[in-house]
Amino acid sequence: MSVPSRHMHCRNYAPVDVVKGICHVTKAIVQADDDACPAFDRLPRCAECKRYVSGEAEYVGACSAEPGAPMTYPDLIAVTCESFEWRHA
Amino acid sequence: MSRKLTDVLAQADARLEYHAMGTPPAQPTPREAAGAPSPRAARLRDLYYGALSSASNEFPHWYTRAYMRLDNEIPVVRRALALESAFRHLTPTIFPGELLVMGKTHHYRGSFPMPWLSEGYYMAAENQLYQDALARGSASADAVSTFGTGGGNVTRSFGPVVSIAGKFGIRREEVPAMLLVAHAWEGRSVDDIGHKYEQMAPGYEIKEALMRSVTCMFDSGYTLPQGREVVNYYYPLQFGFDELIEMTERKKTDVAGRADGDGLAGMNRLYNYEAASHVLRGVRAWIENYAREARRLEAMERDAVQRREYAEIADCLEWIAHRPPRTFREALQLTWTVHVAVLNEDVISGLSPGRLGQTLWPWYEQDVAAGRLDEAAALELLECLRVKYTCLDCFASMGVVGGVLSGNTFNNLSVGGLDRDGRPANNRLEELIITAAMTCASTQPTLTLLYDDKLPESFLLKAMECIKTGTGYPAVVNNRTAIEFLIGQYGSEGMDLEEARAIAIGGCLETSPCSWMPLTLNGRPYWIPGGSGQPTSVGVHFLSLPKILELVLFDGVDRRTGLRVFPAHGRALGSYEELFDQVKAYFAKAVEVLSLANNIQHDVWRKNNTAVFNSLLKPDCLESGHLIHELGYRYNATHNVETCGTVNLVNSLAALKSLVYDRGFVSLPAFRQALAENFGFKMADEVGSFSLASQEKRGDSTEHDRTHVECLTAPKYGNDNPYVDDILREWEEWFCTKCRDYESLNAMPYYACQISVSTHAPMGAVTMATPDGRLAGTTFADASMSAYPGTDRQGPYALFSSATCWDHSLSQNSQLNLKIHPTAIHGRAGTKKLLELTRSYMRKGGFHIQYNVVDSRILKDAQEHPEEYRDLLVRVAGFTQYWVEIGKPIQDEIIARTEYEGVQG
Repeated sequence: MSVPSRHMHCRNYAPVDVVKGICHVTKAIVQADDDACPAFDRLPRCAECKRYVSGEAEYVGACSAEPGAPMTYPDLIAVTCESFEWRHA
Repeated sequence: MSRKLTDVLAQADARLEYHAMGTPPAQPTPREAAGAPSPRAARLRDLYYGALSSASNEFPHWYTRAYMRLDNEIPVVRRALALESAFRHLTPTIFPGELLVMGKTHHYRGSFPMPWLSEGYYMAAENQLYQDALARGSASADAVSTFGTGGGNVTRSFGPVVSIAGKFGIRREEVPAMLLVAHAWEGRSVDDIGHKYEQMAPGYEIKEALMRSVTCMFDSGYTLPQGREVVNYYYPLQFGFDELIEMTERKKTDVAGRADGDGLAGMNRLYNYEAASHVLRGVRAWIENYAREARRLEAMERDAVQRREYAEIADCLEWIAHRPPRTFREALQLTWTVHVAVLNEDVISGLSPGRLGQTLWPWYEQDVAAGRLDEAAALELLECLRVKYTCLDCFASMGVVGGVLSGNTFNNLSVGGLDRDGRPANNRLEELIITAAMTCASTQPTLTLLYDDKLPESFLLKAMECIKTGTGYPAVVNNRTAIEFLIGQYGSEGMDLEEARAIAIGGCLETSPCSWMPLTLNGRPYWIPGGSGQPTSVGVHFLSLPKILELVLFDGVDRRTGLRVFPAHGRALGSYEELFDQVKAYFAKAVEVLSLANNIQHDVWRKNNTAVFNSLLKPDCLESGHLIHELGYRYNATHNVETCGTVNLVNSLAALKSLVYDRGFVSLPAFRQALAENFGFKMADEVGSFSLASQEKRGDSTEHDRTHVECLTAPKYGNDNPYVDDILREWEEWFCTKCRDYESLNAMPYYACQISVSTHAPMGAVTMATPDGRLAGTTFADASMSAYPGTDRQGPYALFSSATCWDHSLSQNSQLNLKIHPTAIHGRAGTKKLLELTRSYMRKGGFHIQYNVVDSRILKDAQEHPEEYRDLLVRVAGFTQYWVEIGKPIQDEIIARTEYEGVQG
């Protein structure tokens, strides 16, 4: 069973703070951790990138796009990352 | 039931007067109404009201990732490349309804730690990094500082959010990475490297004891190394980013391989220009990312109005990313963008936009003349700007953000003053800035009126109307006194009268050197003002004067911690003169050891953490090729000694002089005993209140009551009484002169700075009872020229006479706050009355005055029902803050301040 997508992982989500944001589609305040709606548009994050390598510790991994595979983490937003490639098309 | 201080006083037929010049009306009185913001600004401000202070790891991640990869680079270029990477990778967020966009992070109210400065303070208490910081004294102030628990402060962890540094919330998913980034800086941060070298300075053990006893509040080199200065927007406004980048490339060719007569730093110019080029490219890319986001939103937006607004935002950003602005809106957006870029370069409080209304006048004037802009549209933009500024947070330690800043960021916008030819510099845009500050009241930017008798009466009255609405701004600063200070302080670096007239306030009250810059817009020449000095209020900060006196009385030992702070002086203190001499001796020793340590910390900062972006904005760095670390700024004599608790020191010296030395009412040993036993009272934190009147006796003993009453009724500052005022004058003249004996890392003399900000709460919290009758743990008097609550009984004009018994131009600032009941200055007549009151202080030579216009009963109600007062603003000491976001000690102190029910002489 797949994990439901959350508002905070949606491209339409503008984060007001660490728990809530505004949905660009509905213009309503939504909670970051609530399940997303059918208009969900996946946000590029390291967790979604094929260059991301999971680490042993929770919430920590590495980026294989760069020499030395520097540390990164799954929730790092990657909309500005030049190396980002979707893990799943 | 415990007896209260009021009971003790009543038995002696004495009392403290918290109301002066009359009695308050029977019912609590609200402030005068100020109008409402535009619906757009109201929505955006409401969004702020509901937003939590949110931290993220994005900027630190990209900065650290680049920095660690580049360990073979020249330090200034390495830092610039790290900054470029961080700016390029920031996630752009645009919120519906915004006209002005861009922020520190992708959150509406976002900030982030900068572990390259200091990494220990935001760790959990059990973390070794935090324990190390505590041991060296740099985290000691954290333990005695508090935030208000309301507003956006995240003082506790909850659900998916972890509270860090006592105020900021971060998503738990980001915490492991944040900790790894922090640990990457262990042994590399300015804090750590500075600590390694500061220990080599003589007297370091005294410095550490001063920090651990909270006699000194914080080291500026790794906490707030920049700020308390005026930013300069001139270069981007005049040239645009593309031209600036081309300029740095041309300059590189000009200087590569050439020392040009400077064997020490001439060759560095190449690296400095290379660094400047990289940071400019990073900032340009950051703007372009926002432009792309605006285009993306435009493409998906279904609402026609919102779609057009996204398009306008994109048009604006696409233009200013490369070229100089053409319109008022583009110029306003560019100044905001530049402002945030500087803030993201370092941990900064008090980065002031300066005389923004005069800087932006060319675009405003030409847009209005051409029919491209009307006042309503300009006002809405200015209201939106206020919301953007108010969303700024400064991520620093609990001691700094809570204990010093009260969560404020001190972006001070100055209005008024004189132009370079000595004519009034006010303009219509500045009036709109004041109007926006009334209709869209918020904490930022705070306003300062550069008061000059030449300014038109109508303009001054407009400023008074704003003050009457209770916003706490504009503060009123004496333009002439500030100019005198600037010429005295920076004359050796070329400051003359014409240049000094460009003065603006940096931070809450720091007189800052500025310059006139020649701008041309559509072929028309203008002179616009902008900052040209290094950060001020860096150096020795803050020194608690009552604590110094306590250490004198107890032979160098801090009784709270048992620490020996100073070597024993061993003096009998048999005369008042001997006592005062020892106060000066300990103070001088403190400044000596603290200045050495701070010079080292700031030197490490400028070597490893050079301000590249802020530097290239300031004259004359781009011309000379030298950034801040090579004294490229036009004015560099900016380090100072900042004190807290002046009035408690002076009142205490007066009490000792009177009771011990003049009258022989009590012996010094018996006095010490009474202080050590807190006059038989409980500690303030046991009582849960930090104002004097609420304190409670520990038992039934009346042993120290007579002495205590005599202390409280001894001569007090603020009543035009020469017995006390002579002590103040002697202190000020000695202190302001003595500071100049110490040399900053720029080989220039230190100078005096006297603003308490919020430190009078945490410093009061660690100070035992003082000879003026103040009890242990309660706050000091705020500011430096405010009377201690309840002790100014002769009216405001007597207070002014006391405050101006010394020459204020000897110091970078002084600070006087007055609480006035709204009915005392009601209506048009009240506005004029307020102006006359202010004018009288200015004409006596007072440097600064500011008012809390509020009924104290409303503050008490707000303390009991904070949920009903989210938007209540108060003036603290040099800044305005939301009531719910400040800690209880400061709340108690503001409630306790003497409330003036009338302002007649």
